[in-house]
Amino acid sequence: MIRVGLALLALAVPAAAQDFSAGSEAQSWNLYAEAPARFEATVVDPLCMMSGDCPADCGGGARQLALLRTDDSVLVMPLKNNQPLFTGAPNELAPFCGAAVEVDGLMLTDPDLALRNAYQVQKIRRQGDAEWTKANQWTKDWTARNAGADGKGAWYLRDPRIRAAIAANGYLGLGPEADKAVLEDAN
Amino acid sequence: MTLRSMAIAAALVAAPLTALAEGGTPVTLKGEMIDTWCYYSGVMGGPDAVVGSAHHTCAMWCSAGGIPVGLLAEDGTVYMVLKIGEDATSNGGDAAFALASHTVTVDGTAYARDGINYLTIAKVTADEGIVNLTHEEYGVVPPFAIPEAGQ
Repeated sequence: MIRVGLALLALAVPAAAQDFSAGSEAQSWNLYAEAPARFEATVVDPLCMMSGDCPADCGGGARQLALLRTDDSVLVMPLKNNQPLFTGAPNELAPFCGAAVEVDGLMLTDPDLALRNAYQVQKIRRQGDAEWTKANQWTKDWTARNAGADGKGAWYLRDPRIRAAIAANGYLGLGPEADKAVLEDAN
Repeated sequence: MTLRSMAIAAALVAAPLTALAEGGTPVTLKGEMIDTWCYYSGVMGGPDAVVGSAHHTCAMWCSAGGIPVGLLAEDGTVYMVLKIGEDATSNGGDAAFALASHTVTVDGTAYARDGINYLTIAKVTADEGIVNLTHEEYGVVPPFAIPEAGQ
């Protein structure tokens, strides 16, 4: 019976590579491995799924979250939200913990890196809702948490933890002296 | 019901149960803690340029920004790190942030699902710091990571 199940699973593999571009309005990021993908899914906690460590609220925003795709039960791992600002997807997905949603974005598939089922979320809505929410929540949350992080530039130039790490270890992480050599070469 | 639809139905039922039933595999791994978005997307260049010292500041940005931190093992396999010790804060947590670009040896449990590898780290048994000196070949990636150099 187990062998039959494994054989059936093997036959199902091509379904994991099916095209989810229909109806997608995702914007291209001109990435080598991207393809538009719009699909229905349930927002899940991968640490819970893997290890059985399952807080009721998916960790309250502290954890990476994933998308269990409705059509084929494939677990899709979002790496990125919609902001070109070095920001991930958990803050976008956390309000939807356990919910049935529809997402639109870019799927990354790159055989050279053995990559599949990685995703960039551009917008999300609960199934049945008319309105989409753009996946741009991260910087709003950062601003709310860092009211005193004044100054010019994007969040990553003002983030206190990042600034403290750079002050201690330099931009290369090798100490301020190593940075000097790079700066001399650049100037 | 066609064979294909039977297969899909079986996969729908079996896949989540398999992940839970199989549990993980205990592993000891050595590798570099990386920023998975830049590594996989190619947005900053090829994978060799977005690891190590060249990419350290960007790796901190991405770790703090909630992009999954990965362990790039010596065999080239990337594991999405879901937990380090007792710290399950994989969305910008301090434990992962402090290890950005570091080469580490870890004991933990590896899982695989739908082409993606996941890792819970029970213990970092060795931290060599940043020993992958990619800035010697690539400079700083992206160049604006050192503001003065990017001007």
